[in-house]
Amino acid sequence: MNTEIPVIEIKDLHRRYGRLDAVNGLGLTVHAGKCYGFFGRNGAGKTTTIKCLLNLLRPNSGTAHVFGLDPQKHEVAVKSRLAYVPDAVAFYPWMTVRGTLEYLASFRQHWNQDIEADLLKRFQLDPNQKASHLSKGQKTQLALIGAICPEPELLVLDEPTSGLDPIVRREFIETVIGAYQSGDPARRTVFVSTHLISEFEGLIDEFTIIEQGRELLTMEADAARERFKKIRASFPSELKLDLPGALKVKRAGREMEILANGNSEQLLAELKSHQPEELNTESLSLEEIFVASKMLKQSA
Amino acid sequence: MTLGDVMIFQIDFKSGKPVYLQLVDQVRYAAASGSLRPGDPLPSIRPLAEELRVNRNTIAKAYTELESQGVIETLPGKGCFLKENNSPFTKQVKNRLLLTEIDEAVVMAHHLQVDRDKFLALVRERLDYFERKSKEEK
Repeated sequence: MNTEIPVIEIKDLHRRYGRLDAVNGLGLTVHAGKCYGFFGRNGAGKTTTIKCLLNLLRPNSGTAHVFGLDPQKHEVAVKSRLAYVPDAVAFYPWMTVRGTLEYLASFRQHWNQDIEADLLKRFQLDPNQKASHLSKGQKTQLALIGAICPEPELLVLDEPTSGLDPIVRREFIETVIGAYQSGDPARRTVFVSTHLISEFEGLIDEFTIIEQGRELLTMEADAARERFKKIRASFPSELKLDLPGALKVKRAGREMEILANGNSEQLLAELKSHQPEELNTESLSLEEIFVASKMLKQSA
Repeated sequence: MTLGDVMIFQIDFKSGKPVYLQLVDQVRYAAASGSLRPGDPLPSIRPLAEELRVNRNTIAKAYTELESQGVIETLPGKGCFLKENNSPFTKQVKNRLLLTEIDEAVVMAHHLQVDRDKFLALVRERLDYFERKSKEEK
């Protein structure tokens, strides 16, 4: 396998629904072995983008290549190397858990029985239970087993943990890290779209924030946490201090809260020159960066 | 063996320090305070990644960094272990590494208006603390 070819490469992607531009010139690249976060508000174009990757939708223009291939022309070649867990999973209601997994395995060249047995035990799923009798959490767990057992090179997750209870969400993420990612790390790529950013915080290597069908911000997670910082300062008396370089300034009497966008050193130096009584800095979490990214657009 | 037997890691995404460096620092801290001794195993990558819910690449990167710093060694098929405290650095490099850290603390002390005597007293206190802790662990 040539590892130089990105696992996902989206260029100037456009997809319209009638007069609505759902995806409007999106571009992003995901390299092998990475866990890539795809963040955006409802209706930002995340699911539309993912459907283009899976050839469930055709782009109006631009390209969305997977493993260097066009999913429209090489659908089987692409799909045999990836697995997809959507936000709402559905199975044939008359099939049992065992029957469903056998059915899913019948489409795959490779199926790891050990992982299947491990995960059934871990999730305490009864192989003889009918799919129609499973809870929402159990259906998602079944979908995850079905996605991991073929040991695909790419795992596409679209809002996988929304609507699940905290324990199921936790197990889901641990399973992605443990059972999936540890198999052959260089050939295990995760592409996850989610609102529950804080839960995936430790997993994300790099992310793109999509807004109205366009890329708003693409960064490595560590670099983003280094760039976006929250500074809290309190002064002996109220201060009329203008900080034009700050992304946002909140004042309450003698206290100030400042959001820095890559210029925390400069802002800190300026604040220090006014003899603060207290001054501390912390990084924004990815979720806070997502919320703050709205302001990037306004200031741009 | 559970992870708790080896050591407990704490990740803080808000510290501004890359996660892998937080892990590196915590292993070095544990080694300096004696809670991790030469020959002790480090948790293996997969269970640690699952427990901390961080990317396994992050753990692998931390262990690679620790190995290149000479803090741990990897025995094929067995895992990672804390090495004897033989720093591979020359005296000059050691001094330079320390000076950057010390300078940072000095600048911080200045901003917090901690004077020279108080600062030196604090340094002594911390040195005593680590020495004491290291002895207790033995």
